[in-house]
Amino acid sequence: MSDYLDVHFRDRSNPKPTPLIVIDTKVLTNTILKSHGRPPWYGEDGQSISPAFVIGIAGGSSSGKTHVARQIVRALGSIPAVVIMSQDSFYKKHTPEEVALAFTSRFDFDHPDSIDMDLFAACLSDLKNLQQTNIPVYSFTEHQRLEETKYLYGATIIIAEGILALHDPEMRKLYDLKIFVQADSDLMLARRIARDTKERGRSVDGILEQYLRYVKPSYDNFVLPSSRHADIIVPGKNNAVAIELISTHIRRQLQQRSRHFRQKIAASLKRSLSRGPPRELSIDELGLTVLEQTPQLKGIYTVLRDRTSTRQDFIFFTDRLATLLVEKAMEMLPYREVNIETPVGVQTQGKVIDVESLCGVTILRSGGPLEQGLQRVIHDVPIGSLLVQSDSNTGEPLLFQVRMPECIRQRHRAVNTWVFLLDAQIGTGASGFMAIRVLLDHGVNPAHIIFVTFLVARNVWLENAKRHVAFLDEDGFDDAQQHKAWVVEPGMGQIGDRYYLN
Amino acid sequence: MSSSMTLTNHTAPNTKHVIPPSVFTLRRTAQLEALYTIIRNKDTSRGDFIFYSDRIIRLLVEEGLNHLPVVPKVVETPTGAQYDGVGFEGKICGVSILRAGEAMEQGLREVCRSVRIGKILIQRDEDTTLPKLFYSKLPQDIAQRYVLLLDPMLATGGSAMKAVEVITEHGVAEDRIVFINLISSPQGLKTFSTRYPAVKVITGWIDEGLNDRAYIVPGLGDFGERRYCA
Repeated sequence: MSDYLDVHFRDRSNPKPTPLIVIDTKVLTNTILKSHGRPPWYGEDGQSISPAFVIGIAGGSSSGKTHVARQIVRALGSIPAVVIMSQDSFYKKHTPEEVALAFTSRFDFDHPDSIDMDLFAACLSDLKNLQQTNIPVYSFTEHQRLEETKYLYGATIIIAEGILALHDPEMRKLYDLKIFVQADSDLMLARRIARDTKERGRSVDGILEQYLRYVKPSYDNFVLPSSRHADIIVPGKNNAVAIELISTHIRRQLQQRSRHFRQKIAASLKRSLSRGPPRELSIDELGLTVLEQTPQLKGIYTVLRDRTSTRQDFIFFTDRLATLLVEKAMEMLPYREVNIETPVGVQTQGKVIDVESLCGVTILRSGGPLEQGLQRVIHDVPIGSLLVQSDSNTGEPLLFQVRMPECIRQRHRAVNTWVFLLDAQIGTGASGFMAIRVLLDHGVNPAHIIFVTFLVARNVWLENAKRHVAFLDEDGFDDAQQHKAWVVEPGMGQIGDRYYLN
Repeated sequence: MSSSMTLTNHTAPNTKHVIPPSVFTLRRTAQLEALYTIIRNKDTSRGDFIFYSDRIIRLLVEEGLNHLPVVPKVVETPTGAQYDGVGFEGKICGVSILRAGEAMEQGLREVCRSVRIGKILIQRDEDTTLPKLFYSKLPQDIAQRYVLLLDPMLATGGSAMKAVEVITEHGVAEDRIVFINLISSPQGLKTFSTRYPAVKVITGWIDEGLNDRAYIVPGLGDFGERRYCA
């Protein structure tokens, strides 16, 4: 396994939240782990193939839940993205009295009522349905839920862990696999004493008092009884065999899903081939609005297509063209009437953009050259980005990174947001397709997405079919041929390279 | 002429006045109207006024450039293909009428990089009430260039006509001058185009007319004042 992103470290008794430098399996919560990019999770029709795979892991405090979670992730090897969600994030908002109790260790953090199970289930359900979610952030130093939330999106596998992860029936409905980590009470207590005295400087008396008052009753009354819902009970130590069994099961499940995905693509390809030989699509069929082909526009394109143009010229004319494109795109927004008064003292009727929020989303890297144009046209426009790269073997687009502006992160705002999606050219359309799917996953209305691009290959249909042939035929199509198929002719070359590097 | 404080609709097609053939306007889209609504509104901040007037100016300059000739040009693309394109023909320069015209220079330079810009100061002569030339500094080879004449407001047309007079005196043919403005009055357009029918006029919006103080209505007030001082 690879690099770890967005790791947060919270310790109940530590006075300050400490940024995590060394990865410690015990404190890894609400974490996205990524190995390589995320392949398409949707079919030809743009619909998602299957929800994320959700694993619930419960067990007593110090039973080794997080260890089991991490071992599963490790055993799975190269998987696109895993989220580990911790029950600890979902402590309820406390009243001032409860906060005071918490500071004197007299608040029962082990009782199910202390957890906002509805919110936990809602967030888990969002992620399972491949939507974004914003999970609460709980501060153990303030003993309070903070105003901020943490944005999560794009997991293929979700692990929800916590002592009560199997307690709530709504939560249980969401799991594809339910695991209970079983350890003897004396072992858990021993681990707890060792941990809290060494790492948190607590006295044995204090630890025992808390254990007997809260931890033990909760375990007996709620945690242990929930084990009957588990699909598999894993020992809290020497559990390598159990983890191997579990990860084999998950791997097989995921493979079945991916086979299903390829079958679906093959079926849709057959359908599209039956429509007849490839031909050029008309502008209307492609759903395009094309800039008026003025002499200046043709002149700009001549400079951009010319391989001998200097980088300075390329940048200047790219910015100029991007500005014209975005101005054109602005015409597609809704407007409403408004009355104003001019400095001459005359009342007059005008128009104003009738949009709650507006943002740009750039497909990196080649969408970047359109950003200058966007910023010239929309004041202080928020711009998000998506890093999509083609897999050099399959040609499949892979999603590496998602950075969304605030108006898209929050679902209730995303549904009222208009998005200018920026990419330099549409060749096969694969990365644009993926980007649109990401926006839809966030709740953006498809009618509110305006794709702004310099060039579109007229035979997108043909290119798409070729792409799928290459995708399905694992041995065929050597690299050169594939790449030739994806270059837009006559084109502008690698727009990103010419804008940023050459 | 409609008096002030009456509700007018500046989107209504103006049937009273015929647009002269040398005059070109931008397409009246809702988005263009929204831009004008912002710069017309007396409550618009100076920052917004600059940002949104620049957007209109760029569109106007783009439109103006489309009236200049281009020549066929074949280029080779980075993928090795041939492309039958066009090249820009002839040199251009800008001439701004001080001081409001200067406000259009940034928009001009965002479209025509490092273009040369001459300046003309014309003010009303107190004795004759006619526009009088106080200062001009133009590119030496202006006679060999196409000229984009910049003045944001065309009210009576007096100073624009004086500016064209100065430019033609420097050897520029009338049909090589393109006059670019944001808002014009029908009277001003008529006067100007009658006097200089060969000069193309690119105007963003044709307003209702002039009030008794020769301000365009509904207009946007004093462009230079709002751009630089307000």
